Amino acid sequence: MSTTIASTEHDTQGGHGASHDDHPAFLQHHFVNADQQFDAAKMGMWLFLITEILLFSGMFVAYTVYRAWHPEVFLEASTLLDWKLGGLNTLVLLASSLTVALSIHYIQKGNQAALFWNLLITILLACVFLVVKYFEYMAKFEHGIFAGEGFDPHGVSHGVDYAKYNIPYAKQFFSIYFIMTGIHGFHVIVGIILMTWLLVKARLGHFSAAWYTPVELTGLYWHIVDIIWIFLFPLMYLI
Amino acid sequence: MADGHHGHHIVPLKILWGVFGGLIFLTIITVITAKQVDLGPLNLPLALVIAGTKATLVVTFFMALKWDNRVNLLIFSLGFIFVIVFLSFTLFDTSFRGDMSNAEENYISDQERIEQQLLERQERLEQGLPLDVEEEEPADAGHGDDHGDDGH
Amino acid sequence: MSQTASAVHHSPKENYLNHQKTVWSWMSTVDHKRIGVMYLVTLAVMFFIGGMLALLVRLELLTPGVTIMGPDTYNQVFTMHGIVMVFLFLVPSIPAILGNFVLPMHLGAIDVAFPRLNLASYYVYLAGGALVLFGLFAGEIDTGWTFYTPYSSSASSAVLFLTSAVFVAGFSSIFTGINFIVTIHKMRAPGLTWNRLSLFTWSIYATSIVQVLATPVIGITMVLLFFEKMLHIGIFDPALGGDPVLFQHFFWFYSHPAVYIMILPAFGVVSELIAPFCRQPISGYKFVALSSVAIAFLGFLVWGHHMFVSGQSVVSSVIFSLITYFIGIPTGVKVLNWVTTMYKGSIWLKTPFLYALSFLFLFTIGGLTGIMLGVLAIDIHLHDTYFVVSHFHYVMMGGTVVAAIGGLHYWWPKITGKMYDEVSAKIACGLIFVGFNLTFFPQLILGSQGMPRRYHDYVEAFAGLHMASTIGSWVLALGLFVVLGCFVHSLRRGKPAPSNPWGAATLEWTNATSPPSPHNFVTSPIVTHGPYDFDAVEEIFSGDGASGDGSVQMDQPPSVAPSSSAS
Ligand SMILES: [Cu+2]
Repeated sequence: MSTTIASTEHDTQGGHGASHDDHPAFLQHHFVNADQQFDAAKMGMWLFLITEILLFSGMFVAYTVYRAWHPEVFLEASTLLDWKLGGLNTLVLLASSLTVALSIHYIQKGNQAALFWNLLITILLACVFLVVKYFEYMAKFEHGIFAGEGFDPHGVSHGVDYAKYNIPYAKQFFSIYFIMTGIHGFHVIVGIILMTWLLVKARLGHFSAAWYTPVELTGLYWHIVDIIWIFLFPLMYLI
Repeated sequence: MADGHHGHHIVPLKILWGVFGGLIFLTIITVITAKQVDLGPLNLPLALVIAGTKATLVVTFFMALKWDNRVNLLIFSLGFIFVIVFLSFTLFDTSFRGDMSNAEENYISDQERIEQQLLERQERLEQGLPLDVEEEEPADAGHGDDHGDDGH
Repeated sequence: MSQTASAVHHSPKENYLNHQKTVWSWMSTVDHKRIGVMYLVTLAVMFFIGGMLALLVRLELLTPGVTIMGPDTYNQVFTMHGIVMVFLFLVPSIPAILGNFVLPMHLGAIDVAFPRLNLASYYVYLAGGALVLFGLFAGEIDTGWTFYTPYSSSASSAVLFLTSAVFVAGFSSIFTGINFIVTIHKMRAPGLTWNRLSLFTWSIYATSIVQVLATPVIGITMVLLFFEKMLHIGIFDPALGGDPVLFQHFFWFYSHPAVYIMILPAFGVVSELIAPFCRQPISGYKFVALSSVAIAFLGFLVWGHHMFVSGQSVVSSVIFSLITYFIGIPTGVKVLNWVTTMYKGSIWLKTPFLYALSFLFLFTIGGLTGIMLGVLAIDIHLHDTYFVVSHFHYVMMGGTVVAAIGGLHYWWPKITGKMYDEVSAKIACGLIFVGFNLTFFPQLILGSQGMPRRYHDYVEAFAGLHMASTIGSWVLALGLFVVLGCFVHSLRRGKPAPSNPWGAATLEWTNATSPPSPHNFVTSPIVTHGPYDFDAVEEIFSGDGASGDGSVQMDQPPSVAPSSSAS
């Protein structure tokens, strides 16, 4: 009996059951086969995604409550946001969603080069999103539009007199706007980090048609980031 | 446990690009309807319906939920159902606050007074006068002082 | 197999406790059993801290006026007691300790689905705990564990640490929940159908669903509160145009379901305790299993019952009150089935079963007072009184903690490979039961007479009952220390435990040694019977498994069928 334990013991920590013929290198010891491992990882990711949705739901609820209480303030305040930049960012994120889906498509077919290029484009698009967001934020900060106490709109640009937006509850609108887009932006940054890591591993040829779980999971994550923006855009910028 | 036939569906390129086209189209539609077409109170639901459609497209095809395990669909639906629970129960309260006069008579006038105070506060801000925050605080003597300090 | 022959072999030389000995091997372990043990130690420390704070609270209330501390210190002490107990002890408690240790074994799995995430979850919890304790020493947190605005957004800036701490600890909870759900779905041994899952598994499953769905909301609540305090965003603070009742919605959307995060695992433990000591399958297995899931979902629809006096819409209150009654139904189904299981069973009064009986008694009081508080009109009267304090202590301490200690006794031989002293364990159980009731029953009376909670002082008329309550807390503490002593003694002097001292039918007892080998089972079990089919266990052990006398000894775990165990 003790020999049985000893023989199974050495792959406890590493999980790379190299000694087993039927175990591919990526298969962790506590799974029976690659399908079980893949299904488990994917299910775990879906569960994580709904925690993300519920996290954002708190901010959507705050938005909805204050909008229901002060619809005219929210309508007016939202006109200060630049819908053209918001729209541009929507298109950028949608495109990045496409490229990440494409990268999964290609690695499923074993095309490592296409995986690399699509990941790279996704990262670049994500960076474009952040750059646009940066200029949007700066344009607001310039006119004293901050989250919370610092909220003090002033100045005139493009024929808009910011001071006249100094109305009660406009602060709430912009606080929610900054916190929501800020947390969303944080998720974009996390996405960029994850995908850069994927990019390195893809370059090293770690992924194949048989094993691409991290790509798939990061892709799912990225789509959720996109979906949240899909709701943010009309609610904040348009209506 | 291994069912072995799901989870590895390869979404065809045609579908991916088609969905992307649809998403771009819907984005344009949502901008046009919100900016050009005045439907009054219907603008908001319309925008939400379009956003919902876009999200569904992403979930179904980009995230390949259409071909995925049923249990993942269940998980995802659960997430949305509980967002709706959260939203609707909270809104139920906030929209009907003060029904059946459970709030004091002057509840509504209190709200108005606060709003008035806020307006005055903003005015003072604009004119650069010192803020008298104390006055707006609830009767909470012990902590009024550190509140004023926090702002800087 | 004979007694003497098996006595030589029953403790295998190599098990999960001793196969690697360095401190680093513990700190970096991904073995669910070791992580469970690490949680056990850590949570025991947290429980000790929280308990000491509770004793200080009770000591201050021994006599009217200032007994040992002034009102400001008192406010901080009860706040820290609440925060440590709720966020650092009760929420993780049973899932983290017993869930980690037992759940994969109940499933016949080698480990949880994501072992590294499991370890990460432990360290995230530690980080959250460190932040809380830092806040404790940074000082002056007197908001109560509920952090109600507007007070919390204007109180000491140490609140910032606490909101971050709750946020961080929440992630630990989410990771554990995700891990367990996936484990239950994907890691079951061959033959382990959903109808053969142990009720402990079912309750952990329901708990995990709540953890995954509710915890993110406390996360975002804490983020918003953080910004409210840092930037004055005016969402919750009425002075800035915010709505403090909105904060309560956010807070209770998590914190009511969190009550079920704390109590549902206890339901599961109690099912495991009752069945083997009555030698009967749990009656109405499917009802007990599904009622856990029902409670998990219904639990999301009742949060407003904490807000009856907050000024929320009356229609909301009525609806919340009504749904609160509904929650009593699945809970009643459980209690009824546990009692029915005992009926005509061969009751074997061992310590774990005594705890199960205590649980039934105490939880029933806790549950019924809960329904009383769910009644709109009564709650207006009893809101924020000691009646509420007593109610949730009957549920949390009388329910969760008693079940956790009972479960710890039940699984102690499996976890440590040692038996504990039955007599002193029973004495401890008695002390806890008596001490608990002496502490909290007077509080029910105090509350109904109008003694408000969170006050450091009271009128002379309440002095007698308060004194009884404080004396009760000493008896309770004594009982808990006897439990500790009993376990320490067991570790040092305890007799080696047989594989299946209780003749139970779940896999960790029938198919694994005590303590289990590093990979739980020598061969992956193939499940052929339900978790409470004690007649089937009798087959496996050729008769002596189900006799109820604890004499079961195993050479090595029977792998598949009774015949193979003879090898
Ligand atoms: Cu509740």
